[in-house]
Amino acid sequence: MVEPQKIETELLAFLQREIFAPETALTPETDLIAAGFDSMSLVRVLLFVETQYGFWMPEGEINGATLKNVRGLAATVARLQHAT
Amino acid sequence: MNLIELLDQAAASWPHKPAFVETDTTVSYAQLVERIAVAGSKLKALGVTPGMRVGLCYPNSISYVVLTFALWRLQAVVVPIPTECSEEEVATIIEAMHLEAVLNRLPAGARCPQPSSRVEPMKHPLTRPSATLSPTGGEGRVRGQRATERIIGSEPVSPEVFLTWLAQNTKPDNHGLNIAFIRFTSGTTSSQKGVVLCHETVRDRVLAANKLLQIGPDDTVAWCLPMAHHFLVTIVLYLSRGATVALMRNTLAQTFLETVNRSKATVLYASPFHYALLARDRTGVQMPSVRLAVSTTCALPADVAEDFFARFRIPLAQALGVIELGLVSLNRKPTPENWGSVGQPGEDFRVKIVAPDDQGCGEVAVAGPGLFDAYAAPWRSRDEVLRDGWFFTGDIGRMDADGFLYLVSRKTAVINLAGRKVFPEEIEAVLNRHPAVRESRVYGRPHAHLGEVVEAEVVMKTPEADLESVRAFCRDHLAAFKVPTQLRVVNALPRTAVTGKIRRAAAVAHNG
Repeated sequence: MVEPQKIETELLAFLQREIFAPETALTPETDLIAAGFDSMSLVRVLLFVETQYGFWMPEGEINGATLKNVRGLAATVARLQHAT
Repeated sequence: MNLIELLDQAAASWPHKPAFVETDTTVSYAQLVERIAVAGSKLKALGVTPGMRVGLCYPNSISYVVLTFALWRLQAVVVPIPTECSEEEVATIIEAMHLEAVLNRLPAGARCPQPSSRVEPMKHPLTRPSATLSPTGGEGRVRGQRATERIIGSEPVSPEVFLTWLAQNTKPDNHGLNIAFIRFTSGTTSSQKGVVLCHETVRDRVLAANKLLQIGPDDTVAWCLPMAHHFLVTIVLYLSRGATVALMRNTLAQTFLETVNRSKATVLYASPFHYALLARDRTGVQMPSVRLAVSTTCALPADVAEDFFARFRIPLAQALGVIELGLVSLNRKPTPENWGSVGQPGEDFRVKIVAPDDQGCGEVAVAGPGLFDAYAAPWRSRDEVLRDGWFFTGDIGRMDADGFLYLVSRKTAVINLAGRKVFPEEIEAVLNRHPAVRESRVYGRPHAHLGEVVEAEVVMKTPEADLESVRAFCRDHLAAFKVPTQLRVVNALPRTAVTGKIRRAAAVAHNG
């Protein structure tokens, strides 16, 4: 079981390193969709979650609320890892 | 003949009809043609001339469409550069396609804006000076010059579009053809190619494709795919028929549903990944206006087709699109029994299964209108590539008694990650350049939700290998989606007994 805070830190590092340009100052509150998060970015985040936490996020959990920002995404991942 | 004529005719017939709708913007056919004329005049004044090859590195937008048609109005050749390309990949396209200019969103050397409501902070070649346009040398020089060394200067076309001039050592040779479009497909030097399409060719394939799609002025198409990868038998076709294209801000299920219902979309054109998101949406919102939902770019998983039908009562229609051919077939009568089929080929196409095995499976070969005109680098004419008039697709498939085509695998090792093509040789070439890597093997691992994912095995020169530096090296040199999800250190790679070549795993089924 991974702590929500650790998930948030890891997701933030992944997004900063692999999705967003270095110029983007990403925080846990940055609105991902407004910042240009597209469907190929989503594919790569889902793969990261699968590799790192061992489960595929159900498509039904992927919505505007989940992807609002890294904090919301980390909370969803933390909740789902308990369920799986 | 020029493709702008198709749009001009549509604008003459339906001047006040919306060509594009976005959340708070509607552009009519008359307005679209006007914007194209303005952009064309500006590009002409800046020096764009007939036959000139111009790269288009621009995000999905109405402007993308305006710029493409404006270049066509000037008889320039459009070469799309996907915005996710790395600096090195951009440099390769510029060099291999002999681009003399690139249209992009920011002037060379400008910094990306901070995140705002405007979409721009994604890794964006030609707009990332720290990585892309700084004059420093160093790594990234694979073949020829870096893109940065070619830049002569940038000039504004509009506040949001810049034309960057590039020095070329040799003038491109268009071989006397009326070229509209060249699609660069990456790979190694031996497998990379530019698929050359003339104006007449695109017109022919648009006409052939519409016998399958039956798009007309009463249709509205909900659009979510990247225009840099999908444009001809899609956007050009819709605009030639007076249809409306509804653009969406993002491809999450709720946005998709809102776009469809606000625009009363009749046609969906998306990948299985998008349909999976929609199928699992829990809002209960329906899409009563949709008459046709086309699934393209990769094989449609059966559970996605089933769940989508259960959720919306709309059967997904798989299509077979190939850049060399256009839209060859579409499953116009999808039923639970044949959801796996890409349907019956269009009436203008002939399809045959070459040297079928005892299951009836063999390589799919196609003949018909709108076949590509040439490969650009090195130049090979269509007649040199075709065999007795047939194009061999590299797909292994079978045809049932009713003429429905099923694709079962690929002859080549190309990996299909949620619809994006990844060539193992291209990634291996990057891995092998890392100073600590002796050799590598890249393959697609079957994935229940994405078709395949990219993985790699590497043999290191020293046991205390730093895999993170190999990963970072891949990120620096490849578009992000090509970076292997898993990197594994192995002692040796499997080789074939006869030739000693690295053995490749059999690819799984996919199309598009």
